[in-house]
Amino acid sequence: METMIVTGAGSGIGLGLTRKLLTEGYRVAAWDAAPGDLADIVDGNLTFHQLDVRDADALSDAAAAAADSAGRIAGLATCAAIYKTAPFLEISEDDWNDHLDINLKGTLLSCQAVLPALLDQGSGSIVMFSSLIARRGAMNSAAYAATKGGVLGLCRALALDHARAGVRANVVSPGIADTAMPRRVMAEADLFAKGDDIPLGRIGMPEDMVEAAYFLLSDDASFVTGQDIRVNGGAGLF
Amino acid sequence: MTGKQNILITGAASGIGRASAQRMAKTMHVIAADRDTAGAAETVALIEADGGSATAIQVDVSDKASVTAMKAQIEKDIGPVHKAFFAAGIFIRGVVGEIPENDWDRMINIHVKGTFLGCQAVLPDMVAAGKGAIVNMSSDFAVMAVPGAAAYMAAKSAIYSLTKTIALEFAPHNIRVNALGPGPIDTPILQSGRTAQEYEDARNMLADKLPIGRLGRPDEVAAALDFLLSDRSSYMTGQIVHPNGGQLMW
Repeated sequence: METMIVTGAGSGIGLGLTRKLLTEGYRVAAWDAAPGDLADIVDGNLTFHQLDVRDADALSDAAAAAADSAGRIAGLATCAAIYKTAPFLEISEDDWNDHLDINLKGTLLSCQAVLPALLDQGSGSIVMFSSLIARRGAMNSAAYAATKGGVLGLCRALALDHARAGVRANVVSPGIADTAMPRRVMAEADLFAKGDDIPLGRIGMPEDMVEAAYFLLSDDASFVTGQDIRVNGGAGLF
Repeated sequence: MTGKQNILITGAASGIGRASAQRMAKTMHVIAADRDTAGAAETVALIEADGGSATAIQVDVSDKASVTAMKAQIEKDIGPVHKAFFAAGIFIRGVVGEIPENDWDRMINIHVKGTFLGCQAVLPDMVAAGKGAIVNMSSDFAVMAVPGAAAYMAAKSAIYSLTKTIALEFAPHNIRVNALGPGPIDTPILQSGRTAQEYEDARNMLADKLPIGRLGRPDEVAAALDFLLSDRSSYMTGQIVHPNGGQLMW
């Protein structure tokens, strides 16, 4: 049985992806700062590891534990992220640092923890999460947008560095989706009303992002690397 | 008639079109359309040998009358078209100063007009069904460029533009339209106009330049196609997905 590692697995897209991977027969190493809704999943193939993606040592320990469990590590999905809005001039240095440290550096550190095992195997797939906001921007979202743009660059560089070693790396860029993240900055009704402005007429569901991530993790994407799969209902055609 | 939904695939006689027909035949009835009827029949035979069902049909995708006749025959013999992949294409090299007008017209007509006419032909079925999915064959060259094939670059860019526009126009009908932008794939297009040695050299040169270090296989493009045509991508439209071995990242 193969192992997949998911960061930010306790909620939203990370949680959905964890469920999908368990359904598809993977052992899942679920990493998050808190178990969140993972507590509801009873499955012998799920291992929760409580950690902060800013903590390189903790990531390294968790990666070692995942590698010790039987079977190869098929891939890593980095879903851990925060999103806080603030007018540009009011973004505090602390909030800026939190975004950069969790969303961008946390992605780097997670990859650095898991990559050695993938390189040893000579195979593996990494999926990171950017956002429609990386390319299109969003009001009061400069810190988040900067990190999500950063993920695109990080992913491409990682993909180039390791393509010949058999490791693929790609990005999923969701549009607005039905998760806890946008609810921190907007009312429930406003969230669903956003669907009126999207060509496919609805906001995204976590499952939409999960399926794209699963495609990229799977062998169906064996010739896909360094790419950004934009799952946004047609909201960002450029 | 088969109890399966129908997918129309143009350019199904060889290369990515054939591999896609074989992949999609695992779940759908394939209408394998091509100008090359012998090749299309061979694709059908391969599918049937694998336990799938398919129908070969002749079409010149650049000719409205031919596309219309094809659609009428499909309607009569098979039924409505539920999904479509427009993969018919040719490759003619030529630097801008030397491209004969006829070469330019063929490239643009087969790729761009062919995609346009194909979409026009099948969209009414999808509108009537209240759902549908189309994938058009673009290329990395919709976004990047290399010297020596201006007509191909222009054609593939136009297909991507067309894809985005149709996606927006038909999103209200729950019809998704996306594009594939493959990188270097080992197909008959790569062999066309090259000697065996030139083909071998081209393969090695292309593979060496690619981050992933090898050419792609038609079945790898077909796997990405399957994703884009399935409900797994039900929130994606107007996008271009690149199975390209890392040739282009944007």
